[in-house]
Formats: sequence, structure tokens, C-alpha cells
Amino acid sequence: MTSILELRHIGKVFPGVRALDDINIEIRAGEVHALLGENGAGKSTLIKIMTGIYQPDSGEILLAGNPIQIGNAAQAQAHGIAAIYQEPLVFPDLSVAENIFIGHQSSGAIVNWRRMYREAAAIFDQLGVSLDPRSQARGLTLAAQQTVEIAKALSLDARVLIMDEPTASLSAHEVAELFKLTRILRERGVAILFISHRLEEIFEIADRVTVFRDGKHISSRPIAEVHHEQLIRDMVGSNLDEFFVKEVRQKSDLSISVRELSKKGVFSNISFDIFKGEVLGFAGLVGSGRTDVGLALFGIEPADSGIIIWQGESQKIKTPEQALKMGIAYVTEDRRQLGLTLPMSVAANITLATLKNYLNGLGLIRSREETKTATMYRERLSIRTPSIWTETGKLSGGNQQKVMLSKWLNTHPQLLILDEPTRGIDVGAKAEVHRIINDLASRGLAILLISSDMPEVLAMSDRILVMREGRQMGIFNRQDVDQETILKAAMGQAPVRNPA
Amino acid sequence: MIRLSRLLRPEQIRELSLVIIILLVILFFSSNIENYVSGRTFTRISTSIAIITVVAVGQALVILTRNIDLSVGSIVGFAAYFAGQQVSANQDLSPLVVVGIAVGFGALLGGINGFIVSYGRVPAIIVTLGMLAIYRGVLVDYAQAKTITTEMMPTWLIDLPRQNIISIGDVDVRVMVGLALGVMIIFQLCLSSLPFGRRLYAIGSNPDAARIAGLPARRIVLTAYILCGALSGLAGFMFLVRFGTITIAAGQGLELAAIGAVVVGGVNIFGGSGTMFGVLLGAVLIGTLEQSLLRTPQVSEFVRDALLGLFILLAVASDSVILNQLRNLWARWGRERALSAMLPTEKETTHAS
Amino acid sequence: MQVNLKWEVLKRWETLLAAVLFIVVVFNITQSPIFLRADNLTNLFSLHIEKIIIVLAMALIIINGEIDLSVASVMGLSACLIANLYEQGISIEIAMLCALGAGILCGIVSGFFVAYVGLPSLAVTLAGLIGYRGLAKMLIEDRSIGNFPEWFNRLGQQPLVGSLPLSLIIFFVLFIVVAVALHYAAFGRYVFVIGNNRESARYSGVRVRQVKMTLFIISGLVASLAGILIAARLGAVRASTAEGFELDIITIVLLGGVSVFGGKGTLVGVALSILVVLCLRNGMNLLSITGNTQSTVIGILLILSVLIPNLAQDFQSIWKRRRLNLRE
Repeated sequence: MTSILELRHIGKVFPGVRALDDINIEIRAGEVHALLGENGAGKSTLIKIMTGIYQPDSGEILLAGNPIQIGNAAQAQAHGIAAIYQEPLVFPDLSVAENIFIGHQSSGAIVNWRRMYREAAAIFDQLGVSLDPRSQARGLTLAAQQTVEIAKALSLDARVLIMDEPTASLSAHEVAELFKLTRILRERGVAILFISHRLEEIFEIADRVTVFRDGKHISSRPIAEVHHEQLIRDMVGSNLDEFFVKEVRQKSDLSISVRELSKKGVFSNISFDIFKGEVLGFAGLVGSGRTDVGLALFGIEPADSGIIIWQGESQKIKTPEQALKMGIAYVTEDRRQLGLTLPMSVAANITLATLKNYLNGLGLIRSREETKTATMYRERLSIRTPSIWTETGKLSGGNQQKVMLSKWLNTHPQLLILDEPTRGIDVGAKAEVHRIINDLASRGLAILLISSDMPEVLAMSDRILVMREGRQMGIFNRQDVDQETILKAAMGQAPVRNPA
Repeated sequence: MIRLSRLLRPEQIRELSLVIIILLVILFFSSNIENYVSGRTFTRISTSIAIITVVAVGQALVILTRNIDLSVGSIVGFAAYFAGQQVSANQDLSPLVVVGIAVGFGALLGGINGFIVSYGRVPAIIVTLGMLAIYRGVLVDYAQAKTITTEMMPTWLIDLPRQNIISIGDVDVRVMVGLALGVMIIFQLCLSSLPFGRRLYAIGSNPDAARIAGLPARRIVLTAYILCGALSGLAGFMFLVRFGTITIAAGQGLELAAIGAVVVGGVNIFGGSGTMFGVLLGAVLIGTLEQSLLRTPQVSEFVRDALLGLFILLAVASDSVILNQLRNLWARWGRERALSAMLPTEKETTHAS
Repeated sequence: MQVNLKWEVLKRWETLLAAVLFIVVVFNITQSPIFLRADNLTNLFSLHIEKIIIVLAMALIIINGEIDLSVASVMGLSACLIANLYEQGISIEIAMLCALGAGILCGIVSGFFVAYVGLPSLAVTLAGLIGYRGLAKMLIEDRSIGNFPEWFNRLGQQPLVGSLPLSLIIFFVLFIVVAVALHYAAFGRYVFVIGNNRESARYSGVRVRQVKMTLFIISGLVASLAGILIAARLGAVRASTAEGFELDIITIVLLGGVSVFGGKGTLVGVALSILVVLCLRNGMNLLSITGNTQSTVIGILLILSVLIPNLAQDFQSIWKRRRLNLRE
């Protein structure tokens, strides 16, 4: 099999983090090459380089042996590199056939509808799919939209197809259909890069599998020569980050009890307790539904059914204001868009959720109180900023995170839901955030820690709840597990273990 | 029902309902006004909406790409004036040349708009709001308070409003009306049969996807603005023909009526969907209402703007609510159709998605 | 304390505006010696006082990420309502109250469709622009109604404090109220946050819909107040009163550094923009430049105000890239 796309010594650095470090990967014609790695391992950066959205800082890209530059999306397309994602990019108002052919109309002056529909139908025939080329793209299911994307790749005579977690939102039947298509593409000699977290899928469809970890290439092996344990060990690595041993918490009062919380199509039957002073870690892979549980508890996207018992009373949390009044705070994972108002000052961001407490009789903000609060948090959380009146957008990621944290701490919550609190921040700030979390727990706060960073979850949590595709895989005591066990559970490789 | 969903799309149902509403309106007025259903009424109404239809078609091109052009009124007025001036100075210019002057002039102005929006990356509202004032101001300076009057026009131009394309018994189809219809048909064909037209939809439907698909978005938006300007120029010519007298205030307010026709006609204000046929229907509905109310003794003529505003609101609200419901329904039916088209064995193993 | 926040921002847009204002004023002084005369300065404001009152409300709306195209029509409607009621024998005081009520009602309608139904404000207020003007036409038809009581006619011009007319005082009071509300009150913070990102405001527990509704009601109320003032100043009302004002109003707000996408803007910038536009218009008036040409100049100013920063940004990144390339 000939090598179609090869990346050699690729490096990519972003401010504060080395996303890719001397990566070598090679995809051959007519093979399905799986790419495995935890969140943050560098997979999406690699894809963006392959599709021209990022430029590598070092290294070279070879297409069929010839060095090429991929300067932008159009160039990637011209080179025959196509990608389909978990969230397909379609034109909802156009028909299916048009979605396939827009951008490269087969003939010139006039749109030949009959030919377009015919060619679309032909492609669908090849793929063994029954989609109506005339139907509007808007109404298609996610799986159908992906099929359209694949059809588009075929129509472009793509030589390389990147499939980025395409099965994450598909049903079992739809996955089988997708694999049928994948095999057809493989027969035609397309080089396929397949990214997924589902090991059983990888073993079913892939020919070779490569593992990334922390931006480095760890291994590339034919699928026949490898087994699950080996892969997981490659993903996790043997040098775990140092973490301090947590004292075992004393049993204390219940803060919140959740039973059979469900939201149709998102998560189902989530049940857990969190005690005061306890950190319950929510582990799992991206898309497992942990954020949705957090949003449900905070009233942004309320659950459909289930029971929430807060301080002895059953509650239905419908709005964020209600959750805040109850004493629940949710720190979002998207700090730039949703968590902060970047053009506003640090102080203004810190007081935003509690502004009512800073008003005088006329409804004006008491500047002195605000300054006091902001200064207090600045010290307490070591926020590095020229002034509390600096525009928050100017701070580094880690400090922005601390500002966001301060905002919610200022609501004096009893339950603090943290969603990826150390994502995208440097090591030093990360350690500081960890210190803060521990401090909060020791003061009696109940903390729900959602994190895709396994070492972090292990270091910080007293107990760990693992979710996978909206379902609860188990709750573990921290001393009973290690990274491998959690990852296995997160990938569905371990039997479900939920306490009675 | 599900079968029907294959033949008709929700957008087409909307257009159908517009036709029904228009018929209802005609029905209503025919019972209140004598001799309502007559050739004369048709001629009167059709000539009154011809100009706005042409402008609305151009505006629709721009709105489809998720932009807007608030300066069309000024372009119409300026083109009318400029063309009027040229022809009054050279009485023996051929009609085609005069049309060409108006269209070319409008295209130039539209091109300036498009260039600043596309390549200068200034939001369409700001550019066209500013240009509305700039073009009007330049016109005023250029005209130096001289009005173009009918006496200055060549005979063919003065006679044009009364020329018919065809005459079926009582019904006269004026040249201007034919022109407007022709414009609508040409651009409807353009939208449905030219790659350029399809790309207009794509850009408005999902600008990000358009970029990633490698569509030359900036060039396409620029072209849309040039065409919009050209059509406004053509409307300027029609304005000149219809009114003969062009003051410096000519065309003021046309942009609002055009946007109204576009929105009522079913074009999404955020772009991506809508047809020229719908725009025509929107113009017809609004024009028919206006003109008919003019003749209704009980209703003051001043009600029409209030009604227009109400109509636009209803159109947008119903689009947002009803059209979306319809779309979801259609999507569900489409899935059910796909499911029922599958083989029995496959159906057994299908989970409900 | 709060002023520190402003200094960083002031370095950019507002300074530019101040520089432009300085140039305009100097230009005016050199071209027309009567520029600095007291009666000219009073004229400078009073001719446009109703517009700039609405500018304050419009600034709030645009910072919030919305737009209100209907303000001029509400203004006209309220003026026509007063004229109509007064003609029918209703006392002018009651007529004024009714006008204010009508403005609030208009605001509620717009606010409802934008905040609760979720329609785009461009479309909703466009309908309002046309519709409310239509209602005004229904009230006045094609006549001109005037003959208001003496004291009403002098209402706006009435010197209250020193020689400052009432309308100017209303403007200053409103300016202070809006400035304080926007920059020093919780409400203002919410306006900014919602304009910056509606979802993120929700994530912070802000009551987005209530804030939007309030803003549209304020807009309607202020527009109707302006309608009262213009009816008083002009002494007579036509159906076309205040037609087209929204252009100037929106232009002044955008020129003042308020981002058309929401989330950014200061009242200092808006104030400077008001001064720039008014001084420009006044200066051009003194040079006998027609109103239309004045609008042209202002239109050019508006477009350049966004175009030039964009181009500057482009040059900056090209420059940076060139430097990086040279280094490698």
C-alpha cells in the first residue's frame, strides 16, 4: 500500500502549550488508520493542520511523496484532503445534492439539476445509501448529514478522508451504516484517518492504530498486533503527574442528592450524592454528557425527569436565578464566550452574578465595596493583573479562569460545579486552581468537578463518577482506582458499577 | 400527507398562502368597491407596483447573502435624475442607451456599496446607511436645485407609460409592468439555474460553511450589490418614465417599501431562503392593499402605512413561528419516508433515533 | 475609582473623536467668526435637540445588541397624537400624557416581539417605522395642525436656568441619568453583558428578557417625549414630522464608538459624537452649505469611522507577518 499523506516532524506551539511535538504519522491508500488519544493529546490540532486551518511551526507534509503546503481550506480541498466532523457543516436551506456539489459545479454556465440529482443518486448508490437528493438538508439527521459529507468527499475524488469522531452521536445502526460506507471508500483506495474513542469500533474497522499522548507520537501498530490493554496503557503513559495524597474526608452532611436524572437524548438515569466538603469528580470523554448534567443542575438546560434533593427538599431547577438562590453555582468550560465578558474589567466580571449586593439605595454600584471584593479575590486567588480595572480580555488564560472562579465564589455557593477548570491554562496557574479547590472543600463546600484531565480528577476527587455517552458507568472511591481503570470505564471497557 | 411533503416544501406552502391571501383581498374589495375587478384596476395596480418590484428583486439578492442595502432609494433617485438629464440634453439618444445609462449608473453606485461591505469588511447597515445620505447629498449638489420636468423629455419617453406590451380585451399590460415581470422571471431563473444564484443562497444559509467550502464569498457579495444597484438604476429609469418630473427627493423611502415587499414575500431577513416569485407576491399583496384602500371610501388613504407595518410584523412573526414548525414537521416526515423506504429486515433492527 | 476603567478605552476611540472635534471647532472658528457667539451656540443645539435626546436611548439599545428603527416614527406619532387630541378639544396637558403613554405602548410592542417572541429587532422595528408613521398619517392626514397654546409653544425654548432652554436641560438631565445608569449602575452592566453575548449573560443569571423589554420601553418613552418637544418647537405638526430622523440618530450613536454588534461603547464617546456632528452641521450651516451636503459629510464620516480602523488592522497584520518572515 502506498503512502498517500505523510506528516514528518510536525510541531505546533500555542501560547503556553506545545500542542504537537515532533509528530510523525503516515496514512496509506486503502487503509483505515485509527488515531487514539485522550483529550488534549493533539488530535484536533493535527486535523486542523491537515485541513489547512493551522500552519505547522516545523516539519513537512508530503502528499504521495511530494512536499506540499496547505495554506487554507481551499488548498486542502484542492489536494484531495477532505474531512467530516461530529458536527457536519451543511447548508440547511439547500438540497442534499446541492450540498454535495456546491463549490465545484460539474459543468459551467447553467445548473443542470437533472444531472446533479442523477450524479448524487449515483454516489448514493455506490455507497448503498437511500437518501433523496432533492430533500432539504435542514431536515436530515446527523447521520444523514455525515453521509452527505462523505458523498461530497467522494464527488471531490478525495484521496484522504479524515473522520473526526464521526460515531459520537450515532446510534448503533447508523454506525454500522457508516462503517459500510467506510469500507467502500477503503476499497476505492481512499486513505482514511479515523478518530474515535470507542475501542470496539477501532478494532472493527481499523487496519492500523496510532496513539498520541500530550502532543507526542507514542506508537503506530497494525491492529492485529495490538490489544485493548496495550492501547490504554499507551494513552495513559507510565509517568503520571505527581499528585498529593488527599486525606480521606470525614463523612459529613449531605449537600445534594440526585436520583435518576434524565434528559431525553442527552443523559439518562444519573444518580449520585455529594457531601459537604467533598469533591465528586465527573470523569469521561468529551461528549459523555457531563456538562449537560451540570447545566441541568444550574437550570440552563433543565432535566426532563428525575429527583433533585437539596437540603432535604425536592427541587425542580428551572432557571439559573433559581439555582443561584438555592446556592448552586456553575463555572462554565467556555470561559471566553460564556464565562466572562472580556471587554469588561476584572472587578466588573467578579461582581456580575452578585451585583444586587453592591447597590445603594438608588441602584448604583457601590464602587468601594466592589473594589474591596475584587481586591480580596485578587489576593486570595493570586490573580495576576495590572489592576482590578484592567480589561479581562488582556489577562492570560489562567488568570481569566481565576476571575471567572471568583465571580462564582462570590455567590457564596454551597454546591460549586466546575467544568474543566484548568483547561488551556499553564502549569503554574493549574496548581493554584487546585490549591483553591482543596481550600474550598476544606471549608465545607460541596464540589462537582467535571474534568477530562485524568490525573487532575484523580488528584482532586474524593470519589469519581464516570460517564459515557450520557450514561453512568460507575462511582468509585478514589483510593480504589487509577487512571487506567477510569479510562476503561470511560470507554466502556469495564463492567458498570453503580452503588445501590 | 407524507407523500405530499415530497412535492411541496414549506417555503412553497408559504407562497401558496400568499396567493390565497391576495385572492381573498381581491374578493373582499370586489364586494366593497364597484367595478373593482376590471382591466382598469389591474392596470392601475400593476403600474403602481412595477417600480417597487424591480427594486425589491435587487434588494432580495443582497438580503439572501445576509446583508442589506438601505441606499436603494437614493440610487433610484440619482439614476432617474442622471438618466433624465442625459436624455433631455441629447433628445435623440435611443431608448436602450438611456436604459443603459440608468442601469450602468446604478451598478456603479451599487458596486461602491458592495466593495466597502465585502472588502472593507464594514457592516452592511453602516455602509448603506451612510451611502443613503451620501448619494442623496451628491445628487442634490449635482442637480443644483434644478428639477427635471416632463417638457424636457423626448416624446417616446413621455408616451412610454401608456404603451402596452399586450392587450387582452379590457386588460392592458403596460410595458413597464412587462419589464418588472421580465426582471422577476430573469432573476428567478438566475437564482434557480445559475451557480451564482445557488451560491447566494449558500452564503446566506451558512457563511462559515461557505468559507470552508472555498466559495469566493467576497466576490459573490460584491456582485449581488452591483446587481442590486443595477436594478435600482433600472427602477430609476422606470421612475423617470412614470413621473417625468424628478426632484431631488425622488426615490426617498423606497428602500423601506422594498424591504417590506421582500420580507412579506417570504425571504428570510437573515438570508438563505426565499424566491423572486415570493418577492413579486409580496409586492403584489402590499400594492393591492394600498391601491384598493385608496378607493375604499370608508377607509382613509392614510391607513396604508399602518397596515404595511402590521403586515411586515405578521410576516416576520409567522415566519419565525409557523415556518419553523412546518420545517420541523417536514423534517420528521422526510425521516419517516426514508425509514419506510428501507427493507423490512433493516427496519427491524433500527433503533428509534 | 471607576474612571480608571475608562482611561484605557479613552486612549482609542474617544481621543480620536476629541481630536476630530477640535479640528472641526477650529475650522468653524476660522471660517465663521460668529461661531462662538452665544446665540449661535444655542442654535447649534436647539435645532437638533430632539434628535440628540433620542440618541441617548438609542445608544443603550445598540450597546445591548439590538436596534430601534422606529424611533422617528414614534416621535412623529406622539406629535400627531397631541395635535389630533388638542384639535378635538382635549386639554394639551392630557394630550401630552397620552402621547407619552403611546410611546410606552409602542415600546412594549417592540419589546415584546424582540425579547419574548425572539424576532430580530431589525425586522420588528422596521415594521414599527412604517406602521407607526402610518398611524400618525391616520391621525393628521394631509393637514398641518398647530395653534397650540402660547406656553406650549415656548415649552422647549423656555429659559429655565439662566438662558438655558428647557429642552436642553432635559437633554442634560437625561444624559446624566443615562451616563450614570450605563456606567455606574447594575442595569448598565447588564446592558453591556447582554450586548457582548446574550448567552453568557444568561449563564451569569442576568434576566435578559426583562432588560431588553425595559430598553425598548425607554426608547419609546424618550421618542414620545422628543415628539412633544418637537411639536412645541415647530408650533405645527404634519404627518411627516420627524421623518427620516432615525438616520442621523443611528449615525451619531455609531460614530460615537458604539459597536453595531453590541457590547461596546461609552457615553463619553456618544457625547463627543453629538458635539462633532452638531458642530459640523452648524459650521456647514454658517457656510451656507445645504442640509443635504451636511448629511453627505456625516455619512462619509460614519463609513470612514469603521473602514479606517479595519484597514489599519489589516496593515498591522501584514506588517507583523512581514517582520516574522524576515526573521526566519
